[in-house]
Amino acid sequence: MLAASVGDRLIIRGHRVGEPERDAEIIEVRGPDGSPPFLVRWSGDGHESLVFPGSDAFIQHFDRQET
Amino acid sequence: MQTISRLHRSGIGVEPERTIADVAKLMNSSGVGAIAVLDDDRLVGLVTDRDLVRRGLARDLPVDARVDSVMTSPVVTIEADAPLHDAVATFARHALRRLAVVDAHRFVGIVSLDDLLLDLSDDLRSLTAPLAAEVAAPQRDSPLPVVN
Repeated sequence: MLAASVGDRLIIRGHRVGEPERDAEIIEVRGPDGSPPFLVRWSGDGHESLVFPGSDAFIQHFDRQET
Repeated sequence: MQTISRLHRSGIGVEPERTIADVAKLMNSSGVGAIAVLDDDRLVGLVTDRDLVRRGLARDLPVDARVDSVMTSPVVTIEADAPLHDAVATFARHALRRLAVVDAHRFVGIVSLDDLLLDLSDDLRSLTAPLAAEVAAPQRDSPLPVVN
């Protein structure tokens, strides 16, 4: 099971050759103990959705830069 | 035994009141072609890029129409711990390209016909490798016994 914290980055691999990875910032963890589902904000256009990670997903710590 | 949980893709979920324009943009940013419609935690529908075109654009629905007006409901589902063979049977029984994967009735992801075919083709390649080797190298046949 993937566990995450608010601020981590969710990455979904491309499903076809040449298709880029998609990534989103986790803004809320809905499951117990960091488990899915996650409410995320997609980096492309800022849209939010729930994500239930599958075999195509992994979590990276979101390296936020102070401004 | 291989199960669906090894194969299924990430699932994306939205609320029924989300607009079809929002969902189309979400498909673009998340790279998926099917999104689950969830009422609280309950799976109430599945909307595909094809649904947005055929039930939305083609019928002149406004871009702010609710996504539940174009979704498919009820949804054909498969349990995450089901064997892959069950997915083959379910795809064969229903004319669908994607199934919603559930775990104890809760939505957890999507499995597509493409994913299943790719996985099965890997198995077939492994099975046919010995045959292909025989065709490519027929001299590997055992020699005839020498009779004195």
